[in-house]
Amino acid sequence: MNVPIEAYLLLSLGLLVLGLIGVMRRRNPLMLLLSVELMLNAGNVALIGFSRMWDDPSGQVFALVVMVVAAAEVVIGLGLVVAIYRTRSNLDVDELSSMRG
Amino acid sequence: MGEKITFAVAAIGALGFGAGVVFFRDAFRAAVSLIGALLAVALLFVALLAPFVAVVQVIVYAGAIVVMFLFVIAYLGERGEITSVDRLDRWQVVGWLGLIGLGGLGAIAVLSSAFGPSTPAPEATDVGSAQSIGVAILDSHIIALQGIAVIMLIATVGAVILAKSAVQGEGGR
Repeated sequence: MNVPIEAYLLLSLGLLVLGLIGVMRRRNPLMLLLSVELMLNAGNVALIGFSRMWDDPSGQVFALVVMVVAAAEVVIGLGLVVAIYRTRSNLDVDELSSMRG
Repeated sequence: MGEKITFAVAAIGALGFGAGVVFFRDAFRAAVSLIGALLAVALLFVALLAPFVAVVQVIVYAGAIVVMFLFVIAYLGERGEITSVDRLDRWQVVGWLGLIGLGGLGAIAVLSSAFGPSTPAPEATDVGSAQSIGVAILDSHIIALQGIAVIMLIATVGAVILAKSAVQGEGGR
């Protein structure tokens, strides 16, 4: 590895913090899901970096599992967004308190 | 040298497009920006000698997930600007402090830890090929494979149920 693993981990940290800023700032649930995708990718960068460092394919298997979980999460998330939109005119996570006990 | 150039290009691309995802107000632009970030991350995977994962990243993420996002954004159309007050306003400072703390803590942890094996990995290995990943999945991660199958089944059933109740709500069968 010509580039040290720390560089990949710092890039991964930067992507994770960017995604977290998105989750904190956005109020549209669609944008929230986009930011979560960014955070999952940050995790994948770290996993593949460690896989390269240890010369072991396990990290790549973990990354593939993360991708499947991301795909399933997006399917359910987008289904919920569309279902919520049918009964409301605007999309705002702060307004979605109808499940409050 | 090649890895350094690739890493620099991919890192700038990933962080730039990632900032686009977070800061573009328009949902469509944010989703297209996510494609750029995902392609930059795929380039990083190639630099890390993981071509199979890079190809899956392009096909599954940029090909399937972002297209689904774009479809839903186009389906829902333009939303009016949100005008309601932020009910968590007084917690905003705490949130930002936590974010800065998390970033600083992560940076300190990365920079102050010693990573890696005593002997560095050889330059060219076979570890990223489809064959070695397949062997790893079937040999030592078979439970994870089964778990993936269950997760995808649950997601499919959940999506069908959500769509079914929505169609019934509109008067269909």
